[in-house]
Amino acid sequence: MSFPGVLDIDWNVMAPAVSLLITAIVALVFGLSARDSRGPAAVALIGVLTAGIFAVAHLFSGNESAASFGLRYLGDVPATALTLVILLGTAMAILVSWDQLERGGMGQPEYYPLMLLSALGAVVMASAGDLITLILGLEIMSLPAYALSAWRTRDRQSEEAGMKYFLLGAFGSAMLIYGTALLYGASGSFVYGAVAAALQGGNLTLLATAGGALVLAGLGFKAALAPFHQWAPDVYTGAPTVVVTFMSVVIKVGAFAALLRIAATVFPALQPWLLTALAVIVALTLVVGNFTALMQRGLKRMLAYSSVAHAGYLGLALLAANHGGVAAAAFYLSVYALMNAGAFAVLTLVTDASDHGDDLERFAGLGRTRPGLAAAMAVFMLSLGGIPLLGGFTGKVLVFQATIDAGHVWLAVLGIATSVVALFYYFRVIAYMYFRESSHAPHTFRSTPARVAIAVALVGTVLLGILPGWWHTLLSVGPRFLAGY
Amino acid sequence: MTAVLTILVPLVTAALVLLLRNSVLLARLAAMAGAVATLVLAVLLPGSRPFSAEWLPGLGVSFSVDGNGAASVLVFAVTLMMIPALLVALTRVEKGAAGFAALLLAAEAGLAGIFMARDLIVFYVFWEATLVPGLLLLGLYGGEKRREATTKYLVYAVTGSFFMLVSILALKTLSGAASFDVIDLMLVTPDLPVVTQTWLFIGLALGMAVKLPIWPLHSWLIDLNEQNHPSGAADVLGSLYKVGAFGFFAWGIPLLPAGASRVGPVLLALAAVTALYGAFGAIGSTHLKRFLAYGSLSHMGIIGVGIFGMHLAGLNGAMYFLAAQMVSTGGLFLVGGMLYHRRRTFDLREYGGVARSAPALAALGLLTIFAFIGVPGLSNFPGEFMSLLGAFKNAPWPAAVATLAVIAAGVYGVNLYQRVFQGPSDVPVKDLDGLEMYVLLPVVVGVLWFGVMAAPQLRRIEAQSQLTALQLERVAAPPMPGETLTLGGAE
Repeated sequence: MSFPGVLDIDWNVMAPAVSLLITAIVALVFGLSARDSRGPAAVALIGVLTAGIFAVAHLFSGNESAASFGLRYLGDVPATALTLVILLGTAMAILVSWDQLERGGMGQPEYYPLMLLSALGAVVMASAGDLITLILGLEIMSLPAYALSAWRTRDRQSEEAGMKYFLLGAFGSAMLIYGTALLYGASGSFVYGAVAAALQGGNLTLLATAGGALVLAGLGFKAALAPFHQWAPDVYTGAPTVVVTFMSVVIKVGAFAALLRIAATVFPALQPWLLTALAVIVALTLVVGNFTALMQRGLKRMLAYSSVAHAGYLGLALLAANHGGVAAAAFYLSVYALMNAGAFAVLTLVTDASDHGDDLERFAGLGRTRPGLAAAMAVFMLSLGGIPLLGGFTGKVLVFQATIDAGHVWLAVLGIATSVVALFYYFRVIAYMYFRESSHAPHTFRSTPARVAIAVALVGTVLLGILPGWWHTLLSVGPRFLAGY
Repeated sequence: MTAVLTILVPLVTAALVLLLRNSVLLARLAAMAGAVATLVLAVLLPGSRPFSAEWLPGLGVSFSVDGNGAASVLVFAVTLMMIPALLVALTRVEKGAAGFAALLLAAEAGLAGIFMARDLIVFYVFWEATLVPGLLLLGLYGGEKRREATTKYLVYAVTGSFFMLVSILALKTLSGAASFDVIDLMLVTPDLPVVTQTWLFIGLALGMAVKLPIWPLHSWLIDLNEQNHPSGAADVLGSLYKVGAFGFFAWGIPLLPAGASRVGPVLLALAAVTALYGAFGAIGSTHLKRFLAYGSLSHMGIIGVGIFGMHLAGLNGAMYFLAAQMVSTGGLFLVGGMLYHRRRTFDLREYGGVARSAPALAALGLLTIFAFIGVPGLSNFPGEFMSLLGAFKNAPWPAAVATLAVIAAGVYGVNLYQRVFQGPSDVPVKDLDGLEMYVLLPVVVGVLWFGVMAAPQLRRIEAQSQLTALQLERVAAPPMPGETLTLGGAE
C-alpha cells in the first residue's frame, strides 16, 4: 500500500483550520490595544464565520475524498460536517461571552484567541486521519481549555477547576500517547487505515488492542465517558459558565469526532474484548450520568452530569459505527451542540455575574417574569430529554436505531430506560419555571448577542426536529470514512 | 392534502392565538375560526387522498397520513369536541386564556396526527408530542396538587412510551421491513417468530396500556382529571387523549398478530377488571371529577375488552365507542365545569336540587349522563354493545365480567343525577346562559349523531378492522405464498 507524499496540501480542506489560526493571531494582536473585550469578540466571530463559509463551500463541493498530508488530514463528509458543528458551537460561545466577560470582570484580551485556538484543535481532531495529527489536535484543543477554565482569576473554585482539568487532562493525554505508541509498535503506522490493514492477520493484536484501549481511555477523558468523567462536574461547576458553554460543546464534539473515526476503522481490527469494554463503559456512563444528574439541585451541575449522560448516548453510536452510527452520531452532535449551548446561554442570563445562583429555585416563576427566555429553556430541556418534533428526539431515534441494527438491543433498552430518568430531571426545570411562583424578585441580565445565540439554538433545535431529513441525508452521503484506505 | 391540513390548521391557529393573546377579541375569533375550519376539514376526511412525503429517508421514515378508516370517525369526534372546549377555555379561564386555547389547539393537531399517521415513527412522534400540551395544561392551570399529578402523569406516560419506542425501532430491524410505512411493515412483521413478536408486543403494550388506560396503569388518569382546571376544558382533552386502544387497534395487533394472540388474554382479563374496577370506583366517589374519571375508566375497560376479544365486531365497536365516549365523557366534564362555576365545589355531597332552579342544565345533564351510561339511541350504546358482543364470541367469561360494569353504570349514572339534580335545594343556581347553550350544542349534536347514525361510520371503521382481522387470521392459518400480496389492496 502506498500513500501520496506528505506535503500534498489541499487548501480547500485546510481553509477552516487556517482561518481559525490566522484569526486567533489577529485577535490576539488586536486585543492588546482594544478598549474592552468586545472588539476581539467581533474579530473572533468574523473569523469563525469565515471558517464556516469555507467549510460549507467544501461540504457542497462534492469532493468527498479530499485530503491533505497524505491522508493525515481529511476533508470527508463527517470531518467537514463536524467542523461546522464545532464552528457553530464556537460562534455561540463567543456570542454568549460577548457581554458576560465584562459583566464578570473577566475581559482579559487573551480570552477569544485562546477560544479560537481550542476550537482549532477540535477541528484538527475531527479531521485527523492519523494518530499523530490526533495527538496534535488534542493538545491544541486542551491547553487553551485548561487556561480558560481558570479564567475567573482570584476565584478559588475557578482556579481549582483549571488545575483539576489540567492534571486529569494531562493524564488522559499521556494515556493517548502511550496507546499511540503501542499501536505504532504493533502496526508500524500511524495512519488509521494503514494501522487497520497492517493488523489484519497479524499476531500482534494483543499489543495493538492494549494500545486501542489506552487510546479509548485517553479520548474517554475528553469525551467524559464514565469512569473517566469525574473531572467534568467539578470543572463545569468551577469554570465560568461562558467557558462551559464552549467546553461542553466543542471539546465533546472534537473528542467524539476522533473516537468515531477510530471506532469505525481501527477498532474492528482489534480483539473483540475492546468493544465489550466499550459497551460496559457506555452502559456505565448512561447510568452514572443520568442518575447523578437526577440528584442535583444546581442547574449547572445538573447540565454537567447531563452532558456525561449524552456522552453515553453518543457512545451507543460508537458501538454501531459501521451500522449508520457515524451519521447518527454526527446528527446527534449537531443537535447536542445547539440545545446544550442554548441551555447554557439561558443559564448565563439567569445567574449572577459570579456564576453563582444557579439552583432550581432561581428558575421559579421564570415563565411569568421572562416568558421568552423560559420558553427557549423549555424547548432546550424537552429536546435534551428527547421529546418529538425537536432535534434531540431525532438524534436519539437515529442513535437507538443504529444500536439496534448493530445488535445491541439491551444497550438500547438501557439507553431508553435511562432516558426516562433524564426526562424527569429536564422536566423539573420546566416545572419550576412554569408551575411555581418566584419567591424573590427576578434577577436577570439582558444581552442582545446572547439572545441571538439563543435564537440560533432555538431555530436549529426545532428545524432539526421538524425537518431532519436534509441534514441526515447530507451526513450519510459519500464514502463513510476516508480514514486512509 | 385534507389530512395534512387537519393537522396544520390547528397548529397554525395555536401560534396565531399566542401572537394575538393581548387582544381578547382577536384571540377568541382566531381560535374559534381555526377550530371550525378544522371541523370542516375533518368532515371532509372520508374519501380524502392519503399524503406522503419523505421525512427522514436515511431511516426509512416518511410523513404519511391518511384520513380514511377509523381515523375519519375519531378525528371528527376530536374536532367536534374541541369547539366547546375552546369556548369554555376562552371564557372561563381567568388568567392566560389564550395560552390555554393555544395548548388545546396544539393538542388537537397532535391527536389528528396520532389517528391519521400511516408511518410508525410519525405515529410515535405525534403520540409523544401530544403529551406536552396535556402536561402543560395540567401544570399551568391545574389545582393545588397539580405538581404531583403532573409528575405522575409524566412518569407513567413517558416510561410506557419509551419502551414502545424500543419495540418500534427493533420491529423494523428484526423484520427487515423496507420502511416504517404501515404496509411495508404489515407485509413482513407477522412472519417474525412468535417469541420475538411476543417481546415486541409487550414493549408496544407497555406504552399503549398506560394510555388506554387499564388497571393497574390507570392511576394517573384519576389524578389528572381531579387536578385539571375546574372548567372541564382540559378534561375534554384528557378524554380525547386516551389513545391506547387505537394504538392496539391500528398498530399493535395488525403488526404483531402472533404476539397479540399470546399476550392478548392477559390484557383482556385486565381490561375486564378495569371495567368493573372503574364502575365501583365511580360508585364510591364523592368528588365529581374523580367520579367521571372512574366512570370513563370503566368505559375504557369495555373498549379494551372489545379490542382484546380480537373479533371483528368487537374491534369495530371498540373504535366506535372510543369516538363516542369522547363526546359523552367530554360533555359531562363540561357540565361538571358549569356546576363548579355555580357552586365552586366538586363535592357531590354538597349538591342537590339543581333541577329546581336550573331545569335546562338538568335536562342537558341528564341527556349527557344517559349517553355516558350507554342508553340506547345515544352515543355510547352502539359501540359498547358491539364491543361486548364481539368479546362474547371469543371470550365469554371476561365479556360477562365486563357486562357487569354496564349494569353498574346504570346504578352510578342514575345515582349521579339524583345526587346533583334532584332532592331538596338549599342554594338556587342560575340556569344555562347563552354561551353555555352554545357550549352544549355540539355535545348534544354529537351524542345524537353517534347514537343514531352509526352505520356509515361503522362501515369506515370496518374497512380498517378487516385488515386487523385479516392479520389475525394469517397467524391462525398461514396463507399461501401468493395470498399476502392482496394485503396492500385491502386498504
